[in-house]
Amino acid sequence: MIIVTGTSRGLGQAIAERLIDGGEEVIGLARNTSGLNINAIECDVSDYASVKNASKEVKRMKKPVTAFINAAGVASMNMAVTTDESTVQKLIQTNLFGTIYCCQLFAPIMLRQKQGSFINFSTIAVALALKGESVYAASKAGVETFSRTFAREMADFNVRVNCIAPGPIRTDLLRGITDTQIEKITSQQVIKKQFQKADVCDLVELLLDKKASSLSGQVLNVGGV
Amino acid sequence: MNIEQAKEIVISAINDVLEGKAEISEEMQLIGGVSLLDSMKLVEVCLALEDLADEHGFEFDWTSEAAMSKSRGMFRSVAALAEEFANQSEV
Repeated sequence: MIIVTGTSRGLGQAIAERLIDGGEEVIGLARNTSGLNINAIECDVSDYASVKNASKEVKRMKKPVTAFINAAGVASMNMAVTTDESTVQKLIQTNLFGTIYCCQLFAPIMLRQKQGSFINFSTIAVALALKGESVYAASKAGVETFSRTFAREMADFNVRVNCIAPGPIRTDLLRGITDTQIEKITSQQVIKKQFQKADVCDLVELLLDKKASSLSGQVLNVGGV
Repeated sequence: MNIEQAKEIVISAINDVLEGKAEISEEMQLIGGVSLLDSMKLVEVCLALEDLADEHGFEFDWTSEAAMSKSRGMFRSVAALAEEFANQSEV
């Protein structure tokens, strides 16, 4: 069984659908599960108690959890000086705290199995220090550091932790971003093109594959930096 | 579950993880430099206690906010962990 957060839209939804198509049993975690066509548990990743309840629900299923994919996230493209306090808090609370809560509360299931894989989501904005994404990038830089360190803590239990750092993938998070702005970002990548959700799904499958068993504590920047 | 039963269960769990290679006392520290348990073994003890709690009809939640916020206390000694285990059996 694979758990994916943020399955109501965007990357989370695309990843869940790809894994289901590949024959995996997927449980989605989403704030609003009505209308979702996958098995899902209502969960707000930014709320510790909500994540705790979801982890208990999964634990009671008594099924092996082979992977946990932290795809839920929020974005705000703004200069730091024009980002209001509530947006700062929402970015850190959802992106960083949400990832930490999910990892720490679902880890015991994998520790027991002595097997599993966490995939967390960063952004290429961290490595490129993209102007206009300071708070968003900071929240994701936290995710990267947490993931690299958490990977070492989990390694003795045969649990791998990796990060995928996409560039500007066309999802709801990029609402209002012009093609020119996207090109400005992709021009800084090694491979200067805009990648798609399908490319990120490919990387998820790659990290979940047994052939990636030597990879842990890594950040895969989509497009390269 | 009373505290004596909890102590017996906790000591038994630690003993299993340490494969009977050490004398377990109530005062034995579970974390810190003098502990016989490294972090991996401590996790194994907690997972074993989850199973034992299940056998006794309750959930032992070692990741609970309450337990974590006083985690140094809970893992201060075998007796302290047993006390937490007994407390959770009453919830």
